[in-house]
Amino acid sequence: MRKRLTVALAGLALSLGLAACGSDLGGGGREGEVETATAEGEASGELYVANWPFYIDKETLPEFTDETGVDVTYREEVDDNNVIFTKMQPLLQDGESGDRDIIVVTDWMAKKMYDLGYLQDFDQEAVAPALENLVPSLESPSFDPERDYSLPWQGGMTGLVVNTAEAPDVDSIEDIFDPKYKGKVTVLTELRDTVPLVMKSMGVDPADASEDDWLAAIDKLREATESGQLRDFTGNSYTNSLARGDATIAIGWSGDAVQLQADNPDIEFIMPEEGCILWSDNMVIPVGAPNPTAAYEFMNYVYEPENQAQIADYNYYLTPVVDVQQELEKQGSAAAESELVFPTDEFTQDCSTQPDPPEEAAEQIEQEFQSLITGGG
Amino acid sequence: MERRSTPYALLGPGLFWLAVFFAIPLFFMAIVSLESGSLDEGFALTWEFQNYSDALSNFDAQFIRSFVYAGIATVLCFLIAYPLAYAIAFRGGKYKNALLLAVIAPFFTTYLIRTIAWQTILGDGSPAVDVLQFIGVIADDGRVLDTAGSVIAGLTYNFLPFMILPIYASLESIDKRLIEASKDLYANSRTSFLKITLPLSAPGVIAGTLLTFIPAVGDYINAEFLGGPGQAMIGNVIQSQYLVIKDYPVAAALSFVLMAVILVMVLLYIKFAGSESLMGDEEGTKP
Repeated sequence: MRKRLTVALAGLALSLGLAACGSDLGGGGREGEVETATAEGEASGELYVANWPFYIDKETLPEFTDETGVDVTYREEVDDNNVIFTKMQPLLQDGESGDRDIIVVTDWMAKKMYDLGYLQDFDQEAVAPALENLVPSLESPSFDPERDYSLPWQGGMTGLVVNTAEAPDVDSIEDIFDPKYKGKVTVLTELRDTVPLVMKSMGVDPADASEDDWLAAIDKLREATESGQLRDFTGNSYTNSLARGDATIAIGWSGDAVQLQADNPDIEFIMPEEGCILWSDNMVIPVGAPNPTAAYEFMNYVYEPENQAQIADYNYYLTPVVDVQQELEKQGSAAAESELVFPTDEFTQDCSTQPDPPEEAAEQIEQEFQSLITGGG
Repeated sequence: MERRSTPYALLGPGLFWLAVFFAIPLFFMAIVSLESGSLDEGFALTWEFQNYSDALSNFDAQFIRSFVYAGIATVLCFLIAYPLAYAIAFRGGKYKNALLLAVIAPFFTTYLIRTIAWQTILGDGSPAVDVLQFIGVIADDGRVLDTAGSVIAGLTYNFLPFMILPIYASLESIDKRLIEASKDLYANSRTSFLKITLPLSAPGVIAGTLLTFIPAVGDYINAEFLGGPGQAMIGNVIQSQYLVIKDYPVAAALSFVLMAVILVMVLLYIKFAGSESLMGDEEGTKP
């Protein structure tokens, strides 16, 4: 009895050990050509979409299922690009997606995943109806000029979200460093949102910022952190800090301000005089996606102006689809008038596209920023 | 034969569990901690012992902070828990079970929600903070949330039941006749507490401090939700190294260093606290 148990345990340990050795335990991209996720026949079956919180209304999914017969599993499981990447990476490396057909990630993360071979190219024929409705300004972003593998879900602006009752005069990024607001300021944990905005306030164009510019902006943030000017670095939870009154000014995202207004009409998105950071979150199809046919069906569906209007009316982010403004006007929605959903060229004239840190120093910059967030030297 | 094998059979499930979910993962973590490389290029085992010195030298501030916070929280837990456990065990009477239930009741709500609730309780505009400002504990424009105080308070609150329950269990099992006997021998209350009750409850105190201190050192939820950048503990650093920077080797090395330091401290503590002096065999009571 005893011997048999020992042998069994040893055998188990050995086989587990071998299994783990067989797979490369950490890192590395996938070798070889990028595959194309080919659509086959009519969409049916199940579709699994992983998206960010507060990005979809309650009607769209049931209506999609009614119209197409495709059952949708929709999970709001992305709330940080880095975290969803790290969680999925071991699967993706083995060519699996954990049954996800569509995941939604920000521009830079889409490119990073594509370069590692974790995404599939679109079947251009299948996604053509959606691409036809894509707004011209988003047709060829620098990271994916042909829209080979990414399609915007929504875009947005990073700027200041302010409780205007407490801080009526805020109009510049410099204001987050104003001693008047000491301990009442939060900034985002997203490197590519917070640091470029600070660079803009220092007169640097993020598009061609050098390593030193990035580090100088991080130093400025460090000083403000050590003096107690900055209260915290947050993800989406800055919305709670503003709602509770713990923060007066936050670096935040445009659509959130509108959702916060429902509770507190004083909270507003302020376009800083230095401009904002523009970004998009994109639908991508990971390797191993079980049902790309349904994924295209979904993309084409949300790119119908009528359906898109419903989503835009809910989340107040920048819509990537043409003719949505007319559609919203027809429905008498206030979103049609909103500068956050349909900004004029004048409104966004000083905004920059979300930049990447210079490649050769990216690791160091990321480390410095993280050490700032986690209070190290 | 049958009888001799029984203990091993009973050990089986536990050993199996430990092997699969502790020993084997630990082994692979040890390997990862000695690798070098990056996620993009892949990691390779290069016996990179420098990961350990990097982990220590870059994050010494957070290590020290974690031990200080956890230490203060453990002491506070003890100071709150001992009188409470004593009252329940000796004065609880028919309410004993109800009082114990009240101690455990917070566990019915998840840890995460309870910690996030503290954000509201300690937020700048909350009545609790107004009171603290009024009585002068904090400055008029001072705050509680996002300070060391709120993180330690959160740790203390979250781990308090782990201190109360073992102390209660050891106090409850004390033979009350021993205390009566001491009274018969003209000991006053103070003496019988110090010579009888306290030493006999020492195992509960030791268990309670370990159950509080060890998880508190590695905790990251309280610093995440109740602290700012200046309050990050080592758990937050490991999280950021693993999930954001994706430097798996350094994250693994950090975990090992943390484990090693805790292990050493616990062994020293048990050696000291478990010695006979604390277990009631003081000088003078020996024949």
